[in-house]
Amino acid sequence: MSDARNENGMNERVRWARAFPELGTAPIPTDRCLAPEYFALERDKIFKRVWLKVGRVEELPQPRDYKVKRLEFANTSIILVRGEDGEIRGFHNICSHRGNKVVWGDDTYGLRGTTRGKSFACHFHGWVYGLKGDLIGVPQEELFFGLDKCQNGLVPVATDTWEGFIFINLDPAPQQTLREFVGEHADRLGGFPFSEMTAVYDYYTILNCNWKIAWDAFSEAYHVSTVHGGSFPGVFEAEVKQVGMYGIHHSGAAHQKPSPPSTPIAALTYQLATASIAKPGFRSSLPPRINPNRDADFAFDQSAIFPNFLVHVTEGLYFTHQFWPLSGNKTLWEGIQYFMPARNAGERFSQEFGQVLQRNAWLEDTATMEATQAALASGVKKFFHFQDGEVMLRHNYQVIDEFIARP
Amino acid sequence: MENTLPEPFRELERFVPSWALAAQNDREAQRRHSTRDDRQAFYDAMAPRLPAIIEYLDRHALDALPADAQRLMRLALAAAEIAPTVELYKGSATVPFSFEETRFIAVHGDRKD
Repeated sequence: MSDARNENGMNERVRWARAFPELGTAPIPTDRCLAPEYFALERDKIFKRVWLKVGRVEELPQPRDYKVKRLEFANTSIILVRGEDGEIRGFHNICSHRGNKVVWGDDTYGLRGTTRGKSFACHFHGWVYGLKGDLIGVPQEELFFGLDKCQNGLVPVATDTWEGFIFINLDPAPQQTLREFVGEHADRLGGFPFSEMTAVYDYYTILNCNWKIAWDAFSEAYHVSTVHGGSFPGVFEAEVKQVGMYGIHHSGAAHQKPSPPSTPIAALTYQLATASIAKPGFRSSLPPRINPNRDADFAFDQSAIFPNFLVHVTEGLYFTHQFWPLSGNKTLWEGIQYFMPARNAGERFSQEFGQVLQRNAWLEDTATMEATQAALASGVKKFFHFQDGEVMLRHNYQVIDEFIARP
Repeated sequence: MENTLPEPFRELERFVPSWALAAQNDREAQRRHSTRDDRQAFYDAMAPRLPAIIEYLDRHALDALPADAQRLMRLALAAAEIAPTVELYKGSATVPFSFEETRFIAVHGDRKD
């Protein structure tokens, strides 16, 4: 290992600290993942004020299709519904009469359905709301006292879409449009065929850890040779490439060794696969800013959309992670893989192999998180030490601090 | 034993009751609940036949497989499910050093192949 030092006294292999000097190199206080007061600030100053991805347009293909998504940190549940005009709108799932939940069911991950008529009816006293949130029916309306139906629709939530991802913003007056918020990622990822990847495999679990412990674990490549020694032995390089910073967001790329597997079934799926996380190559149709040098050993590009959404793209598939704080030490993690639909048995078989192998890798990723949180809770260790390749974590913590410092 | 697989693959018939499962959740549970020897026997029977199985299945449209070919497809998908346990995890039913698998909820897991 080279120990040559550059002019700043850093090892010459240090790259990102020199590229992004504004991020510094200092240790990060662990109380960011422990202090309830800090979490309250994150909730109020970040999660209640920024755009958050809550679904895909393919989940609501037709008018009257809806999805209900619990946002525990805000003590609310959101109804997303496609109107007769094709627009997707968002509303708080609460009746204007006495506050009952309008659509019931387990919405922890996301409850999907289709309204029977062109409306939602509250089960408590039968108040009826149109697909644009307007209050259109009140049983025994004549017995109310000056009730103005026009003022008592469902409470709307700012809702917009980008590349087919549905986002909401709980701020009643968002400071940016979704397009402004997504910023440079829109240029980087524009043209990627998200809408064609409709073979969906989605997982979720509740992790007993702070949301950043989960998000951090997916934000560096340093862990691959240890954590993924089982499912991806020697497959990925333990070094992040192509790091880019775009204000509050960032991106990086993972690379892999281009040698095919030698075990029989893995080798067969490698031969049959048109798209697999475990297979490099065929990178030509990616947007120009993804794998810009067309490196043969490119594995995937990882775009972080602050504060809690990761989008990974590669040829023929993409996958996402999302980290929803339920409380300061409890997180709903959602991991979703999206593939081009298999056209034949060989593609279906290789897709299944790559898909379950990636699930297994996610079981390895999530294995460390609760142990980390439990150990941190001792308060014994006051700082995290991030190396150069953990630059994306460093960026996250800095952006969070900036939001919290805002008035 | 009744023959429920396409003729060239009849020797795999004994695996049909345990492994020809339509839903990924069921294949995943069968991996966890089977014995190391069960998985190894299934793997040893399937691995050399998979190229021929895929070649046979590719003669049909994926969404219109006859019932016997559908069963064969499900065996292939079960082989994909258990392959890492044999090829990577030294026969272990679950992923070494992993999160508790039953706490992972697969939203797609009951979808039928």
